[in-house]
Amino acid sequence: MAGILGTELPNAGRERLQTPLALTLGIMLLVVVLLIGLGLFVRATVSKAFTDAERIRLARTHIAQLQAQQLNEETGVRGYAVLRLPLMLEPYYGGRANLPLYVRRVRADLTDLDLPKVLPVLQDAARTNYRWVHEVAFPIVRSHRRHTALELRGKVYVDRFRADTDAIDLALAARTAAVNARAQEAVLWVGSFAVAAVVVVILAALVFTVQQYRLNIRLERERAASEEQRRRAVAARAAYETEKRIADILQDAFAERLLPSLPAVSFSATYVPATEQAKIGGDWYDALQLSEDRVLVAIGDVTGHGIDAVVAMNKVRQLLISYALLDATPDGVLERVNFDLVRSKSPLITAICGVIDTRTHEFLYACAGHPPPVLVEPRGRAKLLDFGSLPLGVAVKGGYQTSRVQLAAGAMLVLYTDGLIEYSRDLAQGEAALLEAAEAAAETPAPDPAAQIRDRIFRDRKVADDVAILTIRFLESSAGANLSRRIA
Amino acid sequence: MNDAEPVKVIRLSGELEIGRKDEIRAALCAPADGTPVLLDLSGATYADSIALTELLRFCSEAQRERRPVALVIETPQFARLIQYAGLANVFKVFSQAAEALAYLKESSRK
Repeated sequence: MAGILGTELPNAGRERLQTPLALTLGIMLLVVVLLIGLGLFVRATVSKAFTDAERIRLARTHIAQLQAQQLNEETGVRGYAVLRLPLMLEPYYGGRANLPLYVRRVRADLTDLDLPKVLPVLQDAARTNYRWVHEVAFPIVRSHRRHTALELRGKVYVDRFRADTDAIDLALAARTAAVNARAQEAVLWVGSFAVAAVVVVILAALVFTVQQYRLNIRLERERAASEEQRRRAVAARAAYETEKRIADILQDAFAERLLPSLPAVSFSATYVPATEQAKIGGDWYDALQLSEDRVLVAIGDVTGHGIDAVVAMNKVRQLLISYALLDATPDGVLERVNFDLVRSKSPLITAICGVIDTRTHEFLYACAGHPPPVLVEPRGRAKLLDFGSLPLGVAVKGGYQTSRVQLAAGAMLVLYTDGLIEYSRDLAQGEAALLEAAEAAAETPAPDPAAQIRDRIFRDRKVADDVAILTIRFLESSAGANLSRRIA
Repeated sequence: MNDAEPVKVIRLSGELEIGRKDEIRAALCAPADGTPVLLDLSGATYADSIALTELLRFCSEAQRERRPVALVIETPQFARLIQYAGLANVFKVFSQAAEALAYLKESSRK
């Protein structure tokens, strides 16, 4: 598990690291793309502004040329009017020849610069010049005297021409200012954006750094926690292994169960450990000769598993044997044992304490919360004997009672622990199976009925909990005596 | 005891085993004022030794405190287990809740 954790954590960490990194890189990429786009836009805008400015400058030169041609015309005519020398008319002819050319150039400039509103003004200037030529210049040139009225009208036309061309020049100047303003605005916008972009990138980098720092701390914590978890698991496993080993050793040590060998009564017993090692518990049985005629039989089960259960089992066995040696009645033995166990806060223990009189075939027993003994009558059916009272270790006054059973020769008693009947959690079914197995075992003369019962019940089932079985068979010595008497 | 007098009802059902130890221990919590307790186990079908230990400890403590306790047990297999554990001899066990309530009523009158 630790290995899996060890490889899983960095992967998870890497995934968590990728999100802020991708976000930061994404923001930077976006900023770069926007900057490139805006740079191209500014380049185009500024470039257009320069081109436009150059075209406007050229158009204004053409306007100046146009005004110069008109000035030549006027200067020529005015000089001729005063001096009447044909030489004075040279500028007039030059101006007249060139003026239409500059009108065309200015018209082309205005169309190129997209100033259609100014075209009628140019039209008016051209028309005014035309009228000045035909209505003022021609009569003066053809006549040989001065015409003051004509000269005055000529001045009106000239002023109007000047005003028109000045208006066109002003419009061109205004266009220059607009183009410059647009270029400036574009440059300012890009400047502002560049500052904002730098701020955003710095912020993103800052957030990423903080995020990564926090993530590193978290990863470090998780790694430490998983290491701690792994260490604990290893320690718990080791502790469990140790406890299991000790419990196994103790169980083996206490399992030395020597059964009495008597002429009138035969004992058999078996102990089946649980399939699961962890369930090694505190089941036990004992058969011990107290005196010539009296045999102590005991069986019990300590609640819980492991060392505690095994130690408690050993303690209660010693107590039972000790008090049985002192006290005649099973209920008295249980009361004393119970008193000691309650005082020492022992785990709960169920038990049967019985005394067999091998001479009278009397069975005295007391039950402490334990499943009832089974009695198989000679050649008869098996039945459950009386039971009841609280387990040992619950209340100071257990209220144990001794039951007395008179056993016939050939009868068999079966004492057992709950694992033998509780495997299916249906006690009725467990009891029925036990009674049937006990009858079958009693019918055969086999020397080990406990093993027979065990084999019959666990033929096709697992042993989930520990099971102890102790059988006591009263030999048919009397039947044998009867037989010998009959033979005699 | 009239109807207004309280009876603490503790209900446990299903298979009572080691895996439910904490739940069982939490449920078996008697009120401090000596209120009679109706331990309703009518839905219980099995108890392992750990669960039986908890039941036994609860009942014997109640007995020491002279607190009336009545058990209601319906399923035969659970009744058998309770008989094995000796609870039936020492504590009041009923097959119906009404009888258990009547017993608690009677015992609190005394």
